[in-house]
Amino acid sequence: MLSVADNEKLTKVGPGTPMGNLMRRYWQPVLLAREVADNDGDPIRVRILGEELVAFRDTSGRVGLISEWCPHRLTSMFLGRNEEDGLRCVYHGWKFDVTGSCVDMPNEPEEFDFKHKVKMIAYPTEEMGGVIWAYMGPAELKPVLPKFEFTQQPESHRGASKVIEECNWLQGLEGGIDSIHSSFLHRKIGEGKGIGLDGLRAEGLAGKLDVEPTDYGYRYTNSRGLPGKGQNYVRGYHFVMPHIQVRAAQLNNNGDWYKFKIAGHHWVPIDDHTTMVWNWFYSLDEALTQGEKDEEISGNGPAYVDPVTFRAAVNPRNNWLIDRDMQRKENFTGIQGVNAQDRAVQEAMGPIVNRSKEHLGQTDRAVIMTRRMLLKAVDTVADGGTPPGLGESYYAVRAIEDVLPEEDFGLDALSERMFAGAR
Amino acid sequence: MLSVSDNEKITRVGRGTPMGELMRRYWQPVLLSREVAEPDGDPIRVRILGEDLVAFRDTSGRVGMISEWCPHRLTSMFLGRNEEDGLRCVYHGWKFDVTGACVDMPNEPEEFDFKHKVNMVAYPTLDMGGVIWVYMGPADQQPPPPKFEFTQQPETHRGVSKVIEECNWLQAMEGGLDSVHSSFLHRKLAAGDGLGFDGLRADATAGRLDVETEDYGYRYAAHRPIPGREDNYVRSYHFVMPHVQIRAAQLNNDGSWLKFKIAGHHWVPIDDHTTLVWNWLYSLDEPLTKDEQEERGFGNGPNDVDQQTFRAAGNKRNDWRIDRAKQRTASFTGIDGVNAQDRAVQESMGAVVNRSQEHLGQTDKAIITMRKMLMNAIAVVQDGGVPPGASDSYYHLRGIEEVLPQDAAGLEVLADKMFARTS
Repeated sequence: MLSVADNEKLTKVGPGTPMGNLMRRYWQPVLLAREVADNDGDPIRVRILGEELVAFRDTSGRVGLISEWCPHRLTSMFLGRNEEDGLRCVYHGWKFDVTGSCVDMPNEPEEFDFKHKVKMIAYPTEEMGGVIWAYMGPAELKPVLPKFEFTQQPESHRGASKVIEECNWLQGLEGGIDSIHSSFLHRKIGEGKGIGLDGLRAEGLAGKLDVEPTDYGYRYTNSRGLPGKGQNYVRGYHFVMPHIQVRAAQLNNNGDWYKFKIAGHHWVPIDDHTTMVWNWFYSLDEALTQGEKDEEISGNGPAYVDPVTFRAAVNPRNNWLIDRDMQRKENFTGIQGVNAQDRAVQEAMGPIVNRSKEHLGQTDRAVIMTRRMLLKAVDTVADGGTPPGLGESYYAVRAIEDVLPEEDFGLDALSERMFAGAR
Repeated sequence: MLSVSDNEKITRVGRGTPMGELMRRYWQPVLLSREVAEPDGDPIRVRILGEDLVAFRDTSGRVGMISEWCPHRLTSMFLGRNEEDGLRCVYHGWKFDVTGACVDMPNEPEEFDFKHKVNMVAYPTLDMGGVIWVYMGPADQQPPPPKFEFTQQPETHRGVSKVIEECNWLQAMEGGLDSVHSSFLHRKLAAGDGLGFDGLRADATAGRLDVETEDYGYRYAAHRPIPGREDNYVRSYHFVMPHVQIRAAQLNNDGSWLKFKIAGHHWVPIDDHTTLVWNWLYSLDEPLTKDEQEERGFGNGPNDVDQQTFRAAGNKRNDWRIDRAKQRTASFTGIDGVNAQDRAVQESMGAVVNRSQEHLGQTDKAIITMRKMLMNAIAVVQDGGVPPGASDSYYHLRGIEEVLPQDAAGLEVLADKMFARTS
């Protein structure tokens, strides 16, 4: 439970808001590299943290991320011409480079020297791991590069996709750091493909959570007793500030080893009511298959999400295509795709859920910890300090899952395996 | 005329508002029984008095009406599974019965006993007369069942339908308690189906109103002199608190006897800007035809209203499909369907009409009396009293119409017939 005021403080991310200021201290993933693949290619719109921007790759290959609004008369630079190392407004020909400098102003006589008095909002970008990252905070506080382990893998061993979720970023994140919902929301009853999870993730219902704060966020395990087996299914996660989940994906649903795979999400606020959910994963041994890269089982990928607009086919306007017959016979929800199921329950709460009305239990400990950590970090930034997760400490985090004897549970059971360098 | 503040007070119905608290002292019709016909059938969304609810019929046949929002993390119970005498949330498996008790909480270990600490908003329901009724007020103030005479008729002798009107409930009801508008708004100028009324209801225009206060609301009669005759067309009505009209439907438009038919409306607030209009009618002698039951010609049946969403085909987004050529030659409005004409003039006033700007005359007496009665009842509830109409005194009311000599006082002459004899 949160007060109405704290709920506002945690969820709103526009420029100048407390949470907006915190968010702007971290690198944010904004585009798939393929969206701005070509030098002098088409500019595209980017909305992030409530700001309207335009991205383009210039003649030299640099990726620019500038305001959508030309500073002259505020028309859209999306209409602009991407040419000779800059984006030119089509209204009066003003041209800006990736740093936001006005490099040409052909409509004004030279002698007025107006060109050097005009500046465009522009944010630094980096391309890494098939993703374009942006930093929107104070220049002097720019952190080290976001070298999540997935960004350092060869293309054959990693995948990244994204999808728009129609609700506030925090309720998206709160589904992702809530291990136990998987036994319910994603439960598969019948045989079909893409309808959910069975085995381990459906059998172990009531879970015990073990949460440990770290300097990048926290790590936690959910230990679920497997009925009649004398064993625990222990699943480890990391939460990395401000909106990242890292999770284990190594076991088949019957508990056998599958592949040394780790997955995660970034929940990047588009604005207060819309979120860009990033889905990524990588393998540390065998290469990923195309099916894995497309995440066909998860309700992401091209079968479920428009690869240009990133809108989901399943959304609030069609009641997430809920099929009540499927819900009776095949799975818990009647909705196809694990991540589509996630979006349904999160979007169904409305644009921003009123957390003053909820009832949290023991299995919500990770959710509670996240909120505390974020509220504290918001205050740290407001006081001029450095929030957690700006160093390199998250570069090596890995999430692990295992089936262990009954007496082994909690974080101790997975110990140092949760960090790279040990196995 | 009402002051701006009284207008606010009398129109707003959310929980905790003065009118909202009054409304919650009465049984409200919310669903057609057919919408929740099957035990363990699909749950459906219900919005009423500004509250978001979900209705379902459980395994035992009881109809549950609970909050749309699961008290745990506030996702939508609309997505829920209706199974084994309860509705189960798909996010973490919490299950609630029709009383709102949490009967299963599988994600939390037993020893925490969290299940008994959580309660869901739930309202008692009744299935009567083809309608599901709900009571949303204080448990100790629940009135006797809403046995309007129509609810006690066999299915062959009654018809019930509903339609969404896109404005505040009060301006809709004010059309229904305003007998004289019928001579204008619904006037038919040429032959044809569904255009409106001719004969008695169009010929007799200037009317005299008598209103008599009763313990359930009031009854009133409109006396309209018939041109060229020594007679009045007298039409009598009841207003039952807080938003019910009962009217006569016995005569053909030429004044001859048709059938012992009585009709009425409930104007149930969905929220401050939207109303669920209930249309009901019954016959005390011959059975109703299918066309009568569906109110074809009134703009209510399946031809004019979607029978799943209850949205009207003619609405403010298409200017109620006004046909100007028809308005010149065939009907007063150019809009087809008597109740569609009603909705057009009421919706066109805007979401909540500003009553400080109006100018009321003698034929608005019934409207003025109704407003005074509602304002009094609000004060009674605020003072901890029982408002009028919360007992069983309205069970036997009938609206009657007759052609009477011009010197007859309609309310007195028709008095006996306006109350059914119970013996």
